[in-house]
Amino acid sequence: MTDTPLHNLTRFEGSRLFKKFLTVLLVIGIGFFAWEMTQNAHRAWANFLINYFYWLSIALFGLFFAALQHITGSHWSVTVRRVAESFIAYLPVSLGLFVVLLFGLPHLYEWTHPHVMETDPILKLKTGYLNTPFFIIRHAGLYILCFVLGGKLVQNSLRQDKENNAHLTVANSRLSAPFLLLFAILYTLAAVDLMMSLAPHWFSTIFGVYCWAGLMYSGLAMLALWVIVLRKKGILSDWVSENHLHDIGKLMFAFLVFWGYIAFSQYMLIWYANLPEETPYLILRTQGPYQPISLALMLGKFVIPFFLLVSRPAKRNQGWLAFCALWFLIAQWLDVYWMVIPAFFEKPVFGMVEIGIFLGFGALFLWSVGTFLRRVNAVAIHDPRIKSALHHHQ
Amino acid sequence: MSKKSKQKATGLLAIFENPGDLVNAAKKISGRMAINKVEAYSPFPVHGLDHALGLKRSWIPWVTLVLGLAGWCLGFILQAWTSAVDWPLNVGGKPFVSWPAFIPVTFECMVLIGGIATTITLFAACSLPRFDKPVLDHSLTNDRFALFVDRTDVNFDEKRVEEVLKETHVSEIKNIL
Repeated sequence: MTDTPLHNLTRFEGSRLFKKFLTVLLVIGIGFFAWEMTQNAHRAWANFLINYFYWLSIALFGLFFAALQHITGSHWSVTVRRVAESFIAYLPVSLGLFVVLLFGLPHLYEWTHPHVMETDPILKLKTGYLNTPFFIIRHAGLYILCFVLGGKLVQNSLRQDKENNAHLTVANSRLSAPFLLLFAILYTLAAVDLMMSLAPHWFSTIFGVYCWAGLMYSGLAMLALWVIVLRKKGILSDWVSENHLHDIGKLMFAFLVFWGYIAFSQYMLIWYANLPEETPYLILRTQGPYQPISLALMLGKFVIPFFLLVSRPAKRNQGWLAFCALWFLIAQWLDVYWMVIPAFFEKPVFGMVEIGIFLGFGALFLWSVGTFLRRVNAVAIHDPRIKSALHHHQ
Repeated sequence: MSKKSKQKATGLLAIFENPGDLVNAAKKISGRMAINKVEAYSPFPVHGLDHALGLKRSWIPWVTLVLGLAGWCLGFILQAWTSAVDWPLNVGGKPFVSWPAFIPVTFECMVLIGGIATTITLFAACSLPRFDKPVLDHSLTNDRFALFVDRTDVNFDEKRVEEVLKETHVSEIKNIL
């Protein structure tokens, strides 16, 4: 007998019905994308970009969270860390989708057209950075970092399940430092490349942090959702208590406030300075047809969930936390929509295409993470801090 | 309240060597024997003790919420009134009530008033600072843990309480008179 409920750990197994459901969603996603390509290629690619960035950020969150827990030597998170690590399974899929995205670059980015770059005096000076080969190199760098250092991080964690070797935890905390440092740089570049360069004249120095706040916001919600589902299935019920959910809830709340803080900082500095090279981005979004989207973002991503999640019981009740997590995921989608769509259309566009492509990407994410969790333990059972994690109290 | 609290509380003081024993004893006394007038002493916060003593959640966070929001409103109104009503000031051609410019100060007022109000409420609710409480045992601020059971509780029965305490790993029982 050990002190840990080892004998109770079963593997995750998605039901047949759920797998069929995911297949249907994927077909719907592909169908809508293909159909919209024939109708309005800009809208199809814009949605592809929204979802590419949205789901990539959630997958990257998994590695970021695992590295963060290792570098801080956290005890509370040991039983939920493997779920975050499993998000890496979506990255190979995401890399494939990036290759698809390359075909859409001319539809998405003004700077891919040489005649625009040559005739515009400001863009001409940005050619050294805004060109397709360098764009691919920068983004490939992010994938290389995640597969090499991030992959090693997850691999060590999985090896520990078999070898029961505490040194792997030390190795992982050492790996985490360079990973986090390089991640900060490369994710900032990815945010600038994928989202900010849609408006190539515009710049905001806080943009990388803004996107990272969204990454944490949606990633923590996705983590909470997976943990709650695995608890309901009985896989994590002996490992994750209300106290762990409470901590995830506290982090969700913290990053909700953090996003509000960063979003306001970006807005206020541009509004206050009132410089003609900075304001068009916000004028487009906060006045005219996009004003309701901006208001919905402020209320739906900050004000309403603030009151939904502020109290202690809200974070400890798994049903309520799951509801809030879904809310967070939708709010984050709206945020990415807010960054992308105004660059292409004079008025907000929303319909079955947006929903269909979102669900298609979501199916790919759930499928890859589910497949990963089917093959590995849902908990890092031999982590040296596991006993302390199981006795976690508030 | 003032008269009663001046009276010296009497009862039994059970001293323990480790926090787990304290929690177990608290469960027995306040749970099984339904004695409400119980006080626990510990040199550091003990997880699960609140629950064992049957304590409800504190109402102080509500004070923080309400006064924090009041501070938010106050901060905003102060700025709006001074820059638009009392002495209208044109800053860079912006409207008099330019809310984005007011948010940082509004936020700080919320934190300041919420924080100070919480501290004052906490001191008032615990009637701190007070120096008239007797020292029950010198080890309680150092390395030992204790449970005080008040004699005036309706369910207090000295013999029974002593029996129940002896079932736990109590190291010493003091009769406070």
